[in-house]
Amino acid sequence: MSADVSRRDLLNTAARGTVLAVLGGGAGFLVTKANGQIVWQVDAARCINSRVGETGVPACNLCTTECVVALSAVRAVNDHARCGRCNMCPAYFKITSPVDSHGYPSEKLCPRDAILRRPIGRMDPEDPANNFYEYLIDEAKCDGCGKCVMQCKDPLGLGSITLRVRYDICKNCNRCAISTACPRNAVLELPRDQAI
Amino acid sequence: MKGKGWQFLACALLLLPWVRILPAQTVPYQRPVETAPQPDSIGGGYRIPVVQKPLPRAYWLQILDVALLAAAMGVSIWLVLARRSRKWLVGLSIASLAYFGFYREGCICPIGSIQNVTVALIDPKYSIPIVVTATFILPLVAALFFGRAFCGGVCALGAIQELVVIRPVQVPRRLDRALGLLKYVYLGLAIAYAVKPALIRNFLICRFDPFVGIFRRTGPPHMLIIGGLFLAAGMFVGRPYCRWLCPYGGLLAWCTRLARRGVTITPGPELDCGLCIDACPYGAIEKMRAVGRNCLYCARCYDSCPKHRQLVRIS
Repeated sequence: MSADVSRRDLLNTAARGTVLAVLGGGAGFLVTKANGQIVWQVDAARCINSRVGETGVPACNLCTTECVVALSAVRAVNDHARCGRCNMCPAYFKITSPVDSHGYPSEKLCPRDAILRRPIGRMDPEDPANNFYEYLIDEAKCDGCGKCVMQCKDPLGLGSITLRVRYDICKNCNRCAISTACPRNAVLELPRDQAI
Repeated sequence: MKGKGWQFLACALLLLPWVRILPAQTVPYQRPVETAPQPDSIGGGYRIPVVQKPLPRAYWLQILDVALLAAAMGVSIWLVLARRSRKWLVGLSIASLAYFGFYREGCICPIGSIQNVTVALIDPKYSIPIVVTATFILPLVAALFFGRAFCGGVCALGAIQELVVIRPVQVPRRLDRALGLLKYVYLGLAIAYAVKPALIRNFLICRFDPFVGIFRRTGPPHMLIIGGLFLAAGMFVGRPYCRWLCPYGGLLAWCTRLARRGVTITPGPELDCGLCIDACPYGAIEKMRAVGRNCLYCARCYDSCPKHRQLVRIS
């Protein structure tokens, strides 16, 4: 009986050692090829909304509809260094809407009213059209629908607004649902240190 | 004549809004600038705001997550094997559910890491961070020595089901065994889909995770419905996902067969009253003895034992 038990113990220990060795070997192999984390990001050069030359098509809103997060992890981001700060921003105003009494289009483009507009720099008290304006995107409201991105790009604007994955919101899914749906393969994996 | 006049008036009234809108002018738009104005031309001391770039979760925090996972398993082993305390184990389950489930939103997940580990082993272009490897390995190593400590009180998917078990029925053993084979089918499918070429690769375990939608409080409707159904069923059938579907549970069960220590029902014919069998909602006690590979570390058997206090002396 005791010999039997000790024999089973021995076999057990041997088997456990083998499994541990296999696990350790596998882990060791994975550690040697491990790199940093991978993150998802939108490639602005591929995204329909920001790709120069694709005008006159409706803005693609798959980033809004496909993301597993309720308010998509993809948000519009205005690169202020490239923004024209135009008086009449085609991404802020819906330029096809009727003109109002102040000479501006009467409707805003953003369906969620997420773009804030304020005059900056030297003020021209006579003519507000002569001022520069800063356009800030309220990320808590933006859902990444891409309408402003589509309007901001050349030839209407300077293309300062692009769609970007916000890493603090992104769940970093193994298989990003947006990347699966994106018709241009514009949502790509990047190493963490190259994150935009 | 009079009627016709009214008709004209009605038509005119109906057309009035259109009359106002149709000739309305839009702005003759033309891009006013060709380059972005710089601070000196903007003037007024304007500075270009920095574009915020939120970073992914800091690396040391990810290491902390893994350390917490290991610590929680240690606590689970101690609570169940040494303290034999069901009460404290429920406490640990709540804590794990709060942290790994609702705070980390179910994404420090050894279950899902099966896929990443498999792909990283097979695809030379795919690699995973060390923390993911550790997340995968640690519960298996714990199982090799102590059984499925990860399942009890640590795994968020397990904890959420553990806490809804209110009136469990005993599932017939044959049915239980047959359903238990499903997890190996699921494991096989998950691996088969994960090892496909990168573009058509699919992560089934993540896509059909029943509870991640609940942890995130948002998600596709099918996910939330499946999660709700699992929880509803889990009130009467103990932890259905863990026992019959969890692919990682399959791996843990294999490792547990070699475990040196685990939950044991102290042998002794005069003590074999069978109360623990009725108390175990997971069918993990057979012929009065605990079956490690099915034991989910819930400590209900100890809790149900009248002699429990006298039996706690563990060498």
